[in-house]
Amino acid sequence: MGIQGMEILAVGVVLFMFMAVLKQFGVLEPMEDSSESDLELSTVRHQPEGLDQLQAQTKFTKKELQSLYRGFKNECPSGLVDEETFKMIYSQFFPQGDATTYAHFLFNAFDIDRTGSIRFEDFVIGLSVLLRGSVHEKLKWAFNLYDINKDGYITKEEMLAIMKSIYDMMGNYTYPSVREDTPFEHVEKFFQKMDRNQDGVVTIDEFMETCQKDENIMSSMQLFENVI
Amino acid sequence: MAAGVAAWLPFARAAAIGWMPVASAPMPLAPREKRRTQDGFIIINVSGTKFQTWRSTLERYPDTLLGSTEKDFFFNEEINEYFFDRDPDIFRHILNFYRTGKLHYPRHECISAYDEELSFFGIIPEIIGDCCYEEYKDRRRENAERIQDDADDENNKEGVMPDMTLRQSMWRAFENPHTSTLALVFYYVTGFFIAVSVIANVVETVPCRASPGMIKDLPCGERYALAFFCLDTACVMIFTVEYLLRLIAAPSRYRFVRSVMSIIDVVAIMPYYIGLVMTDNEDVSGAFVTLRVFRVFRIFKFSRHSQGLRILGYTLKSCASELGFLLFSLTMAIIIFATVMFYAEKGSTASKFTSIPAAFWYTIVTMTTLGYGDMVPKTIVGKIVGSVCSLSGVLVIALPVPVIVSNFSRIYHQNQRADKRRAQKASKEAGQAFLSKTNLSFEKEHHHLLHCLEKTTNHEFVDEETYEKNCMEVSSVNPPGSRCSSISSQHGLTSTCCSRRNKKTFRLPNSNMSGSHAGSLQELSTIQIRERPLISNSRSSLNAKMEDTVQRNSEHPYVTSAIISIRTPPVTSREGNNTSDSPDYSQRNIVKVSAL
Repeated sequence: MGIQGMEILAVGVVLFMFMAVLKQFGVLEPMEDSSESDLELSTVRHQPEGLDQLQAQTKFTKKELQSLYRGFKNECPSGLVDEETFKMIYSQFFPQGDATTYAHFLFNAFDIDRTGSIRFEDFVIGLSVLLRGSVHEKLKWAFNLYDINKDGYITKEEMLAIMKSIYDMMGNYTYPSVREDTPFEHVEKFFQKMDRNQDGVVTIDEFMETCQKDENIMSSMQLFENVI
Repeated sequence: MAAGVAAWLPFARAAAIGWMPVASAPMPLAPREKRRTQDGFIIINVSGTKFQTWRSTLERYPDTLLGSTEKDFFFNEEINEYFFDRDPDIFRHILNFYRTGKLHYPRHECISAYDEELSFFGIIPEIIGDCCYEEYKDRRRENAERIQDDADDENNKEGVMPDMTLRQSMWRAFENPHTSTLALVFYYVTGFFIAVSVIANVVETVPCRASPGMIKDLPCGERYALAFFCLDTACVMIFTVEYLLRLIAAPSRYRFVRSVMSIIDVVAIMPYYIGLVMTDNEDVSGAFVTLRVFRVFRIFKFSRHSQGLRILGYTLKSCASELGFLLFSLTMAIIIFATVMFYAEKGSTASKFTSIPAAFWYTIVTMTTLGYGDMVPKTIVGKIVGSVCSLSGVLVIALPVPVIVSNFSRIYHQNQRADKRRAQKASKEAGQAFLSKTNLSFEKEHHHLLHCLEKTTNHEFVDEETYEKNCMEVSSVNPPGSRCSSISSQHGLTSTCCSRRNKKTFRLPNSNMSGSHAGSLQELSTIQIRERPLISNSRSSLNAKMEDTVQRNSEHPYVTSAIISIRTPPVTSREGNNTSDSPDYSQRNIVKVSAL
């Protein structure tokens, strides 16, 4: 009886293995829910405000707004740019390095109301400041970019993050090669210049004051006026 | 870079203002942009159908007819439009290419008409988008084959071309029996003899009536041994002659000898010759008999005569892995069931399942639902296992076979597509090169943007080889055990071989190295030039001169954008090098960057 029982047990084990073989064939697979087909109704669309309103809000002419919108709509037919698309587009200009971190900061700087996507209004308002704004406004925009958590102070950590992302864009093959502490040294230099009262943070007034005194910075602010 | 991304370049440049407050060095000047005239409409009249688009849309691809000044030849002042006397339906696709950057191929259009239009408008077909590329290539290939067939027919009608050698005409006769009557005759004769030989092999084994005086029936082969031997000899002679003729006529004998058909030929006639040699020896006559089996390979010679057989052979060859998998899984199932059966039937008396291999036969017969009945289980467990075996046999064999068939079909087509794509990849590279010729102004602005980034961080872009070379150069110049760490640390985090300190000592060997290595001297001068932006750190007296050059640089970064001179004459005096190279700095920089 014992032998017979063991035989039956062996038979059972072999049968189980056989089921496993059939599973391998895909014949006996347990019915799994087929994943829902990706029928995302991607109708998240956005239409911008009227042309007149935008013209009032920005310093662009109607024709410039029209040509800007045409370019924008060509790239993003839905009218919204999400962060991934933004990162992808921005990275194409810096093929040697990794522009995604800096693109993230840039995205946050443009996405003023933190909706998670850039609408055409945000885009155009940002561009208006950058290209047609006064130096004061441009500096304010730059400060806003560096101030990651938008609390009105630039700390060393925030600056370091920004600096690292800028150096990331350079990539690996640079001359001279970027060392570990290069961003850190750069941040130190920056803070030495900017932080008047040496309290470890840079406020907007300190920032403005220092920049306005530096003629290199002031001249470079005018650099991109003829972009559009 | 995609044409669409070009639309975002102004945005990226504007965002560069974010780098200004932290820049380490003053920024380069923006490229002088021509005052952008307001983008205007352009009306293109193609055989009466009017198309309208922006001028800037057409200027995206300056290498084509519409994007360059070539279209001025078609400008009609009376109607103030560009008039083209071409097909408007196809032109629609061409214009869409400018708009979207993707060229599509409409399926209902004739391939040669489409090709003509493309070449007229200066667009190379390799840039057809992936969605339509395969279809386009297929149609093109079919068209080419059709043209080729027509040409061949023409050739055949004319008869043998006079300048073909005898050898070439023989080969042609062998490969295409329809070319001449003689070839056709030869073709049918060989076919006939193959059939005769095969039939003789078959009939040989049929039992004939016993000759008077014998009791047993003899196979015909032994009864009429002489007749069959003569027949065999005749056939083999014909085959040998045919093989030798093919061998002589083949354009590449080595390739011919290795081809499948020639191996079949050899295998088909070998047994006869071996038999001739070995008739006396009794020991090997057993092996000799086995060799006669190979005579059946003669039937494969028919594949030269039948297109279908060839296709089948190719099919099986390409499906081999699928068949192999089927065989493997069948083997697994057989082994499992045979084992179970054996142990189940071990107890019963006079069981036929004497061993596991003996049970293999039962399993195979049951699984393929043949069921001969020569081996039958007697115990209950054995019967249960037997029934499971036969049920699973249906599943195991019947189900995968259609899967394999369709799998094969899919993989076959996929392979074809992959091969096609691989073959087409080379031509697609050419297409990409065509597409990447974007506006010159776009390039300039993009480079200016990258230049600003370099200035912000006070580092420069170099490409990979120069980066390696830099480290390599310094390590070869400096004495061993220098601070330059191994090249393998790509990030150069701990490597100081490219650090600024070394550069100063590096300049000294310049004059010494002039004799040793001309190539490295070129590199040295390259590296020298790149030192310029580091003037803020180094304090040697030479840099006083460099400061001047840098000043000059920032004022005229794009003095001569047309001239790009890489080869600077190796001048041993450092001063000479510095001043002569300074105008090249910006161009070299441009060149380096555009190597991205």
